[in-house]
Amino acid sequence: MGRDNIIVGLEIGTSKICVVVGESKSDGSIKILGVGQTPSRGVRKGEIVDFETAGKCVREAIADAEEKSDVMIESVYVGITGSHISSFNNRGVVQLPEDQEEIGEEDCENVRTNAKEVSIPSQNFFLHTILQHYYVDGQDGVLNPMGMMGSKLEADFHIIHGIGTRVKNAIRCIKEIPLEVEDVVFNPLAAAQVVLTQNQKTQGALMIDIGGGTTDFILYVDGAVKQTGVLAVGGDHITNDISMGLRIPMAKAEKLKVEEGSVILGNCLPGETVTLKDESGFAGKEIERETLNTIIHMRMRESLELLKRELDRETYLDFIGAGIFITGGCSLLKGIDHLAGEIFGMPVHVAHAQSMSGLTSAFENPQLATAIGLIKYAQAVETDRPSGWFGKIKRKLPMIFGGQH
Amino acid sequence: MIELNRNYNLGQTARESVKIKIVGIGGAGSNALDRIVLDGIESAEIVAINTDVQSLTSSVATQKVQLGRSATRGLGAGGDPEVGLAAGEEAVEEIRQALEGAEMIFICVGLGGGTGSGSAPLIAGIAKEHGALTVVIATMPFAFEGKRRTAQAEEALVALQEAADAVICFENDKMGDAVSPHAGVHQAFAAADQTISQSVRAIYELFTRPGIISIGFDDLVTALRSKNARCLFGYGEAGGDNRSHESLELALKNPLMNRGRMLSETHNLLVNVVGGISMTLNEVQILMEELGRHVSDDTRILFGTAVDAKLGDHMCVTLISSVAAEGASNGKEQPAKVNYVRPAAKVQVSPVEKISKPKRPPEKIEADDEKPLLADDDVEEKTEVEVEPVVAVTKPAPIKPVQIKPMLPESSPPVVAKAQQERQESLPFEPLNRGRFEKSEPTIVNGQDLDVPTFMRRNIKLK
Repeated sequence: MGRDNIIVGLEIGTSKICVVVGESKSDGSIKILGVGQTPSRGVRKGEIVDFETAGKCVREAIADAEEKSDVMIESVYVGITGSHISSFNNRGVVQLPEDQEEIGEEDCENVRTNAKEVSIPSQNFFLHTILQHYYVDGQDGVLNPMGMMGSKLEADFHIIHGIGTRVKNAIRCIKEIPLEVEDVVFNPLAAAQVVLTQNQKTQGALMIDIGGGTTDFILYVDGAVKQTGVLAVGGDHITNDISMGLRIPMAKAEKLKVEEGSVILGNCLPGETVTLKDESGFAGKEIERETLNTIIHMRMRESLELLKRELDRETYLDFIGAGIFITGGCSLLKGIDHLAGEIFGMPVHVAHAQSMSGLTSAFENPQLATAIGLIKYAQAVETDRPSGWFGKIKRKLPMIFGGQH
Repeated sequence: MIELNRNYNLGQTARESVKIKIVGIGGAGSNALDRIVLDGIESAEIVAINTDVQSLTSSVATQKVQLGRSATRGLGAGGDPEVGLAAGEEAVEEIRQALEGAEMIFICVGLGGGTGSGSAPLIAGIAKEHGALTVVIATMPFAFEGKRRTAQAEEALVALQEAADAVICFENDKMGDAVSPHAGVHQAFAAADQTISQSVRAIYELFTRPGIISIGFDDLVTALRSKNARCLFGYGEAGGDNRSHESLELALKNPLMNRGRMLSETHNLLVNVVGGISMTLNEVQILMEELGRHVSDDTRILFGTAVDAKLGDHMCVTLISSVAAEGASNGKEQPAKVNYVRPAAKVQVSPVEKISKPKRPPEKIEADDEKPLLADDDVEEKTEVEVEPVVAVTKPAPIKPVQIKPMLPESSPPVVAKAQQERQESLPFEPLNRGRFEKSEPTIVNGQDLDVPTFMRRNIKLK
């Protein structure tokens, strides 16, 4: 096979499990070869609650992807999320030995280790330590201090950590398939790789990924990750609200949300209704459109307001130049950009993965942004290229099959 | 140069020992006493008060008072509070002697029966008359015990709340949830007694243990101040690496805490964190942060912390708070209510809420008992958002003499009026439905359970 390097991204989402098979070209571009998807079961709020069922679904999705892309999948990059993940910024400091003037590779590693010397709950472990900027003897904004002269090296990091056992559960679920897990990546970090351009990251951008079970966000200022987080509320909650508010089954509520739902209020005629057809076991129902929209509106507004409150704890929101980018399944809700624009008071775009080749339908679907992002993330890590904030992640990964020749 | 005393010794700061008496009234009370003695509590005198001689003789208490020598002739009060009260009145002198000299009195009583419901308010009154701080720990009967008993218990509870400084009320029904359905009935009752014992001990230690940040009795009273309150009490102790998380988890698991869900409805929360010498600031921080997720932003947290070498590498957390009981929001204390109303016919959405805190009126207004909440139909018509604080604060009315008051001698000092400026939010007390998230881990932000549909939490009527 004349394929350069196959990378597979797997996202175990609350509503669906998707596997994206991509080919990393030597010129740095990515071609999507195939997408496998199955509706997800046994996952709530982004975390696996039923091990066996979820495992079965993952197996189906992998088989689906293998069939569509004509590739044997052996290892995957896994996206994870969940309310247990939290993050903060911290600075590491390293004093160079007296007889050394030049900053070396080792010092850059030491400064990272130093930044990690903070107390996080004992059950948690570090998922990502993302470099923001270096400071050399107080001079700020240094992107690459290697080879510079100095006596003190400092660096700001964005540290993301989560509960160890929960992350391990996701990994174990995949290993039982059996598949190798190359790396675990926090979902929004992956999605941002393809949703935001380098330019937007430099200008400052907020990406909100409203998925089935969780709403994840990541905020870039000056090309560096400044804030990330998870709110364990997503599209599932909207469906649940509709189902309870209108007293209809979950499946009907989901369909209604996707096909008829909107977050804009007062946009329909008084008394305008949607008819749910009667089926066996369901008597059929007339639903007032405004009622439906009210339920969705209240939930989305609340979630976005909670996000804004969370983001307002720091001042970074003021430094966003490019605006807000909403992705994930719920970004398909009508009017979500207007609502978010009103709450955040800045331009909002509904975005999906960009700059790919291959299956157009795949990367234009915001539901797949995370899985595609995983490929891009993996590509950046594997080629060990100092691209943007990645800096250098020293990790020698085993060459993926197909790339030996 | 100023030199710090390096020989700083925790023991030196110990407060003077407070004279404490623990009183058990009636059958349930003496059961609780047995448990307290079993768990061991230092420097406290145990007093058992009962009508039933048989129960009294088997009690482990050091001091025993028999009520109603002539009224019941050594038998129980037969579930009649009138009889219990009469029996109590007969022995007023003896009770007074038994309580003599205490600075702090805990009264454990099971309400609903005769002796407890009838005589507890009287005894609480006598305790206060001695000038002792009086904390009543009462249990409400199981629902299956019948409505009559519940009514008797409610009545006694109201009287107790006026007579005592603080009332901690446990519901047996909730205690039942703590034990597995297969557990024997004795275990269910033992769980109830254990909770009482824990709470007595926790409160006792709250005041006697030297604290780095101390909690005073005023804090306790504040935490428990709620009209017709149900007490939320949680105690957790854990050791090991993850002790701060685990101890809080245990405290929240307490049946009276409802997994922390009830915490969002409280206004004052007393938290006391005690650990061995190895307890770090970071652990306390993690714990408080975690706890912060369960309470709303405007909950006042009364925080106390202490180091006690006796705990070794353990850490324990005590949470005490109160919420208004069901049906308690009887017009008297109107909530500061924020109505979220959707605009009726506008293309764009107006800013529905600006998370503005409803202004509290600067001064106390005369309560208008009849003032209804904003009627729902009323709300529907308004097109604009209103953040209209419907606040009515009761004046700190001097408490009306309790029923038992006339029986007390004229010399008794007036019961200090408790300021009743508590504001309560009107929360829907019917259990909120979480739909498909029923069994999943709740997502609680600012004390709100986000799994419950937003429109339900905000009381928006759907057509």
